[in-house]
Amino acid sequence: MATTEGQLGDGEEPQVGWRHTLAQVRNDPTARFGLYIIAIATSVAIFSAVDANLSRLTLGAYHDYTIGEWLPVLENPETLPPPGEMQTYQPPVFAEGGSWDNPLGTDQSGRDYLSRIIYGARISMAVGFFATFLGLTGGVAIGAVAGYYGGWIDDVLMRFVEIIYSIPALVLVIVFTVFVSGGNPDVIYAILGVGIATVPVFSRIIRSRVLSVREMDYVEAARAAGVTDRNIIRRHIIPNSFAPVLVYATLQIGFAILIVAGLSFLGYGAQPPTPDWGQMLNHAHGQMHVNPWMSIWPGVAILLTIMGFNLFGDGLQDALDPRIDN
Amino acid sequence: MTLLRYTIRRILQAIPVLIGISFITFVLVNALPGDPVAIMLEGQEVDQETIEAVERRYGLDRPFHERFVTYMLGLIQGDLGYSFHRDMPVSTLMWIRLGPTLLLVISAFVFALVTAVPLGVLAAKRRNEPTDHVSRIIALIGVSTPSFWIGIMLILIFAVWLGWLPSGRLVYPWRDPAHYGFDGRLELYYQTIRHLLLPMVALGTLQMATIMRIERSSMVESLQEEYVQLARAYGVPERTILRKHAFRSAQLPIITIVGLNLSTALGGAVLIETVFEINGMGRLLIQSIQQLDYQVVMGVTIVLATIFVIGVIITDISYAYVDPRVSYGDRD
Repeated sequence: MATTEGQLGDGEEPQVGWRHTLAQVRNDPTARFGLYIIAIATSVAIFSAVDANLSRLTLGAYHDYTIGEWLPVLENPETLPPPGEMQTYQPPVFAEGGSWDNPLGTDQSGRDYLSRIIYGARISMAVGFFATFLGLTGGVAIGAVAGYYGGWIDDVLMRFVEIIYSIPALVLVIVFTVFVSGGNPDVIYAILGVGIATVPVFSRIIRSRVLSVREMDYVEAARAAGVTDRNIIRRHIIPNSFAPVLVYATLQIGFAILIVAGLSFLGYGAQPPTPDWGQMLNHAHGQMHVNPWMSIWPGVAILLTIMGFNLFGDGLQDALDPRIDN
Repeated sequence: MTLLRYTIRRILQAIPVLIGISFITFVLVNALPGDPVAIMLEGQEVDQETIEAVERRYGLDRPFHERFVTYMLGLIQGDLGYSFHRDMPVSTLMWIRLGPTLLLVISAFVFALVTAVPLGVLAAKRRNEPTDHVSRIIALIGVSTPSFWIGIMLILIFAVWLGWLPSGRLVYPWRDPAHYGFDGRLELYYQTIRHLLLPMVALGTLQMATIMRIERSSMVESLQEEYVQLARAYGVPERTILRKHAFRSAQLPIITIVGLNLSTALGGAVLIETVFEINGMGRLLIQSIQQLDYQVVMGVTIVLATIFVIGVIITDISYAYVDPRVSYGDRD
């Protein structure tokens, strides 16, 4: 595999740190492939409102897609058939009775399946990013404080983390979304729940790093110079313990998407009419014998998205870990 | 410290964790904005009297700490409360539902280990060759695919289209064959396996993929150890090296990962049991949420978490037993 060192010209300094890492990731074909998938999924999630209206991927129902409030949904009602006349459960284009108007067919309300899958990226990506961000913030705070202070603070915090970790993540998220929402589960509770469920892994990773970082001379020096604990943790401990956390965060986004897909499949994630892959599979599961093709596409979408994060995360890990020479 | 003392210490350490699990579950279900009575009676026209009657029935008219202490005292004696919807003690319900879940989870791990260990070893042995690449792609797809979707696809292919295997429900090997109308034990076991095959693969794929990754990297590392190099220098055949020297030490991380992955497997069982209509703990959780049987929800959550804690203790102890280098935590 090509390394950056081989490409250095005369007089150039060997690259270390972030730039070096990024260069290595750029040279890793699998990591690059992962990054492409992430880029596509992200842009689809952000720009799908425009896309669906510019192309013939018309929105099936007028009342739909309320989650796009932060991006205008440019509906074009004249080109749409009235809700009553839309064909439901139309098969995909390659099957008998399919047409290019709805390449992947239509769903139970006659809405274009491909459009809904494209829109579904929005929920999945939002959940993946926000839940991981929450888990990372909480985990880093707890892990850094526990590792820096040690003693009883460490004991109490890590025991708490162990308790959260002991409840299987999906079970914790289900119980959290159902009961905290007071019986009206929605995406926002799913994000909170997955965020809480991912706190333990982040806090453990950062704590183990902090244990070695806090013994460093520069931390000692900062302490001798009278820098407050708060600032030492913020300016020295966290930044210097962050690399493994970042790798893990990338992989964790995939995991968050996986958990929420399961949650939505059970009916406790995004609620209809918001298009969501897990929830689409929930309906498709009941249609398995009549309309088998419906259960294929949302799963492929989930698989590809998560694969993107896993590929990129693995590449990042290889780039950051000097021991691996693959 | 002896292994026995380590075991005892490990069990004692688990007690505060188990209390914490019960507390968090209790808080989630009882104290947060989602008032159980409100959820239970949602959509129904009720007067104050009915609400109070329901609250009394569930003991919700008493203060929170009192309820928690009562619940914990019950837990210690194995009393997990009472399911009003099913009209039986929650603990009895757990015993009925635990079997199918354990059968599913254990067989998923057996499937995962049986496929992942040889594949991982092969990948490490033929590192950077086509075999290695194929196994890495399998592992990548395995960690990226939702288990319930694999389940749906398997049903679609093997039950709906090919009609080879049943699409759901389990046949329990501990039941009387006559209950299902089978001739004897042999047919019962045969049917058990037939019914178990698809859910086992669906739940086990993620485990297979993670174990395969660990096995590969662990074997790669172990093949580079000095004693392996030395054996090679002495002319010990590669097969013997693989089997006798490299393999054993490379299995240690697998023990740990099986213990830790028990958590994802138990969570995944909720989904797989729903897809395959298996009446285990996971399906019970979902049904109880729909029936608003919140004592059962608490019971399932606590029991699943306890299984995980016990699983981790067992793997920790077997790790210490297998690896003589483990110091049983004497240093700290």
